Amino acid sequence: MQFLVETVLNSAMASASTALVVVGLALIFGVMRIENFAHGELYMVGAYATWLFGTSFGAGYWVGFAAAILVTAVLGAAIEILLLRRLRNNPMGALIVTIGVLLILQTGAAWFFGINSNLLVDAPVSGVLSLGGFNMPWHRIVVIAAAVLILTALTVILRTTKFGWALRAVAQDKDAANLQGISIGRISMSAMALSAALAGAAGSLMAPIVRISPFMGQPVIITAFIVIILGGIGSMEGAIVAAVIYSTFFTFVSVYFDTTIANVAGLCLMLAVLIVKPSGLMGKAQKV
Amino acid sequence: MIELRNLSVHYGRAIAVNDVSLSFPSGTVNCIIGSNGAGKSTILRTISGLVRPSSGQIVFEGEPIQNLTPKQIVERGIAHVPEGRHVFPELTVEENLKIGAYLRADAAAVKRDFDAICGAFPRLAERRKQFANTLSGGEQQMLAIGRAIMAAPRLVLMDEPSMGLSPVMVATMGDIIRSINAEGRSVLLVEQNANVALSLSEDAAVLEQGRISLAGKAALMKDDEHVRVAYIGV
Repeated sequence: MQFLVETVLNSAMASASTALVVVGLALIFGVMRIENFAHGELYMVGAYATWLFGTSFGAGYWVGFAAAILVTAVLGAAIEILLLRRLRNNPMGALIVTIGVLLILQTGAAWFFGINSNLLVDAPVSGVLSLGGFNMPWHRIVVIAAAVLILTALTVILRTTKFGWALRAVAQDKDAANLQGISIGRISMSAMALSAALAGAAGSLMAPIVRISPFMGQPVIITAFIVIILGGIGSMEGAIVAAVIYSTFFTFVSVYFDTTIANVAGLCLMLAVLIVKPSGLMGKAQKV
Repeated sequence: MIELRNLSVHYGRAIAVNDVSLSFPSGTVNCIIGSNGAGKSTILRTISGLVRPSSGQIVFEGEPIQNLTPKQIVERGIAHVPEGRHVFPELTVEENLKIGAYLRADAAAVKRDFDAICGAFPRLAERRKQFANTLSGGEQQMLAIGRAIMAAPRLVLMDEPSMGLSPVMVATMGDIIRSINAEGRSVLLVEQNANVALSLSEDAAVLEQGRISLAGKAALMKDDEHVRVAYIGV
């Protein structure tokens, strides 16, 4: 029973961090129709920035967390302005450019911090919550709470602010958004910054739990794409629902069997959903 | 006053608008009629800045605007109701209207215009919390027009507002266009439905394969033999 409760809580934490990553990916696909392959590396940059500012400079975890968000947001905006803006009518070119960014960030991290880094980030709330024999490190609960807070704030921004309406308008109909005087360039830049910051926040939250390495973004982006397809491409609600379903499924299979089987089973889950519902759980049939 | 001077527009190597010169006065409803593919929508899209002309000028209130961005053109006071409505499907009716005022900073005036539009279109007011994709075609057309009015334009471009609507709704649309004009806004209408467009308009032009074949008073054009045979069908 305790084991079951712990696994449920671990699933919740995996869901929370995955949801942060995939919502950013879905957001940028919605606004710019680009699959950002460098999204996992923004997660990695978030973890490194947390270590650099929080641990190395000794400013503490939350300063590192803020720095991670800031650094990744600036990086995202720069990627849009310097690269993707020029390729707005060339989706294949944009996709290849994001792979280039992935390689640059990975190599850059390996260059600055080494390939086999043993960097450790201390959790902001240390210790373990023990309740009647069930044990849960406090930081896992922090991750869940932070993700819920961030996703709630994002929803409020998208639903109630002028910026949020403009962002959704651009995602739904670019020409019509242009006719309202919305600057597509400015919204694309902001969306890219927001999306990158979500990945950076996830990387920062996971930094005390996972091993920090230049390649830590790889499994994350693969999971993210499986989840995006599962949820329905372009649907942010679908992305969150699928993140919870997939991460829970994955956690349970890896706990009761092992992670290799969990990877295979996860892909089978995605295929099964696609057979029953080819557009994903909450996706719409795509207009061509 | 909106004036097109020797305007040409190309899509790749294909010419869509060929050396068009036209001028419409302020404060009236005017129209460009023509069949499908004649280049009417392209003219409106070029005025709005969505498409760049290959040569020629567009002059609005005495100033050339052909090199401005869509945003700057909205700021100059031109709003565009696009063909096929293009309301934002997963924004609510209220959000669709308010985004029409995206560039306006005067919150009090925006609120006033929003209330005025809700008053003029009670069917939109009833559905203000619904997504736009749940509306009927006529309601979506009203929403697209309301969204354009929210920008407080002096010139409203309308691309085929009668398209796909029932005869009753087409008549309603005519009343709406008259009332927009009565508020002091100029309207430039583009229509295949020549009968409706000519009866609403002061001046009119006929566009055929990207060229102006006829221009003059709408009332006279209704009696023109060629226009009657080609566009009214009687």
